[in-house]
Amino acid sequence: MFADEKLITVPFDVYRYDPAHGGEPRYQHYELRLAPHTPILTGLLRIRDEMDPTLTLRYSCRSAICGSCAMLVNSKSRLACHTPVGPEVKEHGRIVVDPMRNQPILRDLVVDQQPFWSRYEKMEPHLILDPKHPMPEGQTTAMSPAQVERFKETPRCISCAACFSACPAVEADPAFPGPMALAKLYRFVVDPRDTAQTHRLQKIQTEGLWLCLRCHLCTEACPKDVRPSERIRDLKELAVQAQGGTEAGSRHAIGFLHNIEERGTLNELKLVRQTSGIGGLAASLPQGVRIWRKKPELTQSPPPIEGLDQVKKIYSTLKDDKSEES
Amino acid sequence: MLKHDIVVVGAGLAGQRAALAAARAGHDVALVSKLHPLRSHSGAAQGGINAAVGKEDSVETHIYDTVKGSDYLGDQDAIEFFCQQAGPTVIEMEHFGTIFSRSDDGSLARRAFGGAGFPRTIYAADRTGLALLQGIYEHLGTETIRIYEEWFLLSVVVRDGRVQGISAFDRRTLKVEGIAAKAVILATGPFGRIYGRTTNAHSCTGDGVAAAYRAGAALKDMEFVQFHPTALMESSILITEGARGEGGILKNVNGERFMARYAPHVLDLASRDVVSRAIVTEVKEGRGFPGGFVHLELMHLGKEKIESRLQEICDFSRTYAGVDPVTEPIPVYPAQHYMMGGISTNMKGEASIPGLYAAGEAACVSIHGANRLGGNSLLETLVFGKQAGLAAAEFVASAPDTEIRAEDLEKETAHIQQLWNRTEGESPRALRTELQQTMDQLVGIYRTPEELFRALRQVRALQERYRNVRVIDRSTTYNIDLTDALEVGNLLTLAEIIVVGAIARTESRGAHTRLDFPARDDKSWMKHTLAHWTVNGPELSYAPVAYTRWEPKERVY
Ligand SMILES: Cc1cc2nc3c(=O)[nH]c(=O)nc-3n(C[C@H](O)[C@H](O)[C@H](O)COP(=O)(O)OP(=O)(O)OC[C@H]3O[C@@H](n4cnc5c(N)ncnc54)[C@H](O)[C@@H]3O)c2cc1C
Ligand code: SF4
Ligand code: SF4
Ligand code: FES
Repeated sequence: MFADEKLITVPFDVYRYDPAHGGEPRYQHYELRLAPHTPILTGLLRIRDEMDPTLTLRYSCRSAICGSCAMLVNSKSRLACHTPVGPEVKEHGRIVVDPMRNQPILRDLVVDQQPFWSRYEKMEPHLILDPKHPMPEGQTTAMSPAQVERFKETPRCISCAACFSACPAVEADPAFPGPMALAKLYRFVVDPRDTAQTHRLQKIQTEGLWLCLRCHLCTEACPKDVRPSERIRDLKELAVQAQGGTEAGSRHAIGFLHNIEERGTLNELKLVRQTSGIGGLAASLPQGVRIWRKKPELTQSPPPIEGLDQVKKIYSTLKDDKSEES
Repeated sequence: MLKHDIVVVGAGLAGQRAALAAARAGHDVALVSKLHPLRSHSGAAQGGINAAVGKEDSVETHIYDTVKGSDYLGDQDAIEFFCQQAGPTVIEMEHFGTIFSRSDDGSLARRAFGGAGFPRTIYAADRTGLALLQGIYEHLGTETIRIYEEWFLLSVVVRDGRVQGISAFDRRTLKVEGIAAKAVILATGPFGRIYGRTTNAHSCTGDGVAAAYRAGAALKDMEFVQFHPTALMESSILITEGARGEGGILKNVNGERFMARYAPHVLDLASRDVVSRAIVTEVKEGRGFPGGFVHLELMHLGKEKIESRLQEICDFSRTYAGVDPVTEPIPVYPAQHYMMGGISTNMKGEASIPGLYAAGEAACVSIHGANRLGGNSLLETLVFGKQAGLAAAEFVASAPDTEIRAEDLEKETAHIQQLWNRTEGESPRALRTELQQTMDQLVGIYRTPEELFRALRQVRALQERYRNVRVIDRSTTYNIDLTDALEVGNLLTLAEIIVVGAIARTESRGAHTRLDFPARDDKSWMKHTLAHWTVNGPELSYAPVAYTRWEPKERVY
């Protein structure tokens, strides 16, 4: 239990932006004394209660189930209610909080989730039934525990968009559905009640499946262990089984570049660790997300970044890597 | 002016089910919600949904258990209908796409829940609410329903003795708009945030219930507040009853399985009110752990079972309490969990104003009576959500047009202006904290007249101070300082009704335990409390309980 934890000083730097007030984004500094296990959300709400009621964010359940409070915590996409302050302060000395990426900023930490939802809706996210094979009248569909197992962790998805925010392919290519939408698609493809498996797999072949860069940043960001990148791998396998693959995604590898800001993460990736020289490259990349986050509209078109050649090299290495497990 | 046949406010399970039923009946339906539908608090339900589908089980026992669980305050005709609908409802949700857990033979897996004669709770691991919410949302996507996402309900507009629509604002612009409708269905969920120690989400502030009350609708049985026995210390995040259903046991500081003394037959799976009282008594009498809690032990279930069936519980315990349930007991204490009371409706979801309907936790039919059984409220959202949708559809088919006039919005815009214009005044959050402390301390599991009267004075003093509340945030974009202020106003309105009802009810029944009247008093109190708004505070009246076949008996578990 946490009973005998000592309070620590937690410095917060929170991204502030209100379109009504001239629209100049800035960071605001706050300091609180908190027990290390305190979730970041609790800290932000205490700031609202005690210091600054204008600090604006989405939140509701405070227990990692409503998916409202995803944001960038020290540049990583996280649920504020599921991330304790202690380890962040220990590692970074402070907590920098930004709104999620890949979605226009409405105000402070609140983003417009339309890009996320519209791509989700493109997946036809509902059971498609064949009138010739109706559901069993007056009873549930028989499904073995093994069949339920095939959904893997996808039913745990809380639509928080943390993965969407972390995904470099989303940023690089508006045609890419994003990790959550693809994990949802997988959920329908393996559903024994759904009758549109072939249609779904066919459609997604040309609608972005192969644009995934296999960087696993989505899986790293997901608070519910949905492991979207693994579900995308599963989808690719199913698609290949069903009608042969059309690997055309690699040319989009450059898009990956823009998210190297989540570089701490990158270092942890097994795939990347296997490739020599990457640690050094990641460390030499520009100072991170905050530079281009200054203007919200830049989320749509990030500025060029140095070190392009080396990054390209990484992705071609990644592309050749056959061992996808991580 | 915005206009629809039917406006459903609230997009949790009840609201979505209502919208679906109304749209299927061919009407122009709008769904208004302050949160994205998938962020509704229904998604937080963990344990499961009741339906007597097992071979050894029967609808009859489900009815009996619910009547008994309600401590004979539930309306028996409604309970009969409700339990009969359970099987078809679960099947329907499965057909919509919900992914339930299965047993080896391919049928729906079931677990034991408190107060139930048989394992009758169907589940999706320990995230049943999320599974249902996803299932219905996915299905809803196949209908054309206008969704007003992140719109905040201000008021229900009533003129000429009938509902005309609602007033609401888009949280992104703060512009107050009228939405005319021939029928309004309120499905705005619970109001647990009246309490500090609550399992409810921050958004559970009873906005719809308060709006209905201000519009003149009757509220029912508001004094019945359910405390869940096992919430995590500090955060009050719920540890589902499913944890005990899977075999978890409660122990006091002496390592004693104390439920043996309170409910010798069913032990840890007694009804919630019984277990909650037991824990409070243990702690009060010095058998709690330092800091005032008891232990919930799962260790003996083994890592595999704990991690597969109680995945979220593992995560919650590790993240929010720093304990690993595989190797350590979980520190728990009761917290407010469910409001039995709400907008008074009949079995069709009709409230006391023509054109007004309610469903889900915001409503009180009443099937839960004085105490809800775990697993019955998810079922309620779906069964009565659908009924409300159907009834509203029938009503609007022959109802004349309605309109919202400029003057219908005046009161609400004036209120917002006042909050906005005040240059001095109190923070809504400070008032909220004081309200929550008052309710936690004085209107809990055990109630005394002294404490209740003290609570009433304090709540009324807070209402007085609310007149001086001030919104500091000047932005028209997503102003949560303003929504905080509006929500606190609603919490204060509803808290008063809870306390007034609790003072009046001089008996102990279900979740309402008066130390000065420890027995149930069927002669004087087998009746529903109704509360109406007046300038001087809530006015109470009483209505009979509907009986069919079950004579009141003493409740022993
Ligand atoms: C932690 C927890 C676990 C639970 N577990 C179980 C369980 O295992 N089994 C069971 O049967 N029951 C369980 N319950 C109870 C059950 O989940 C709820 O009673 C039920 O989900 C309520 O659903 P609802 O549709 O009425 O309301 P909600 O799901 O709360 O939806 C309310 C809706 O109203 C909207 N709204 C609110 N105010 C406004 C406003 N001002 N303007 C516009 N929209 C508004 C919200 O956005 C939301 O969409 C649990 C409850 C909790 C708190
Ligand atoms: S693996 Fe990388 S590119 Fe693919 S979906 Fe995940 S984050 Fe996006
Ligand atoms: S897959 Fe994970 S990160 Fe992505 S939306 Fe779902 S829960 Fe959030
Ligand atoms: S507040 Fe619900 S996920 Fe964080």
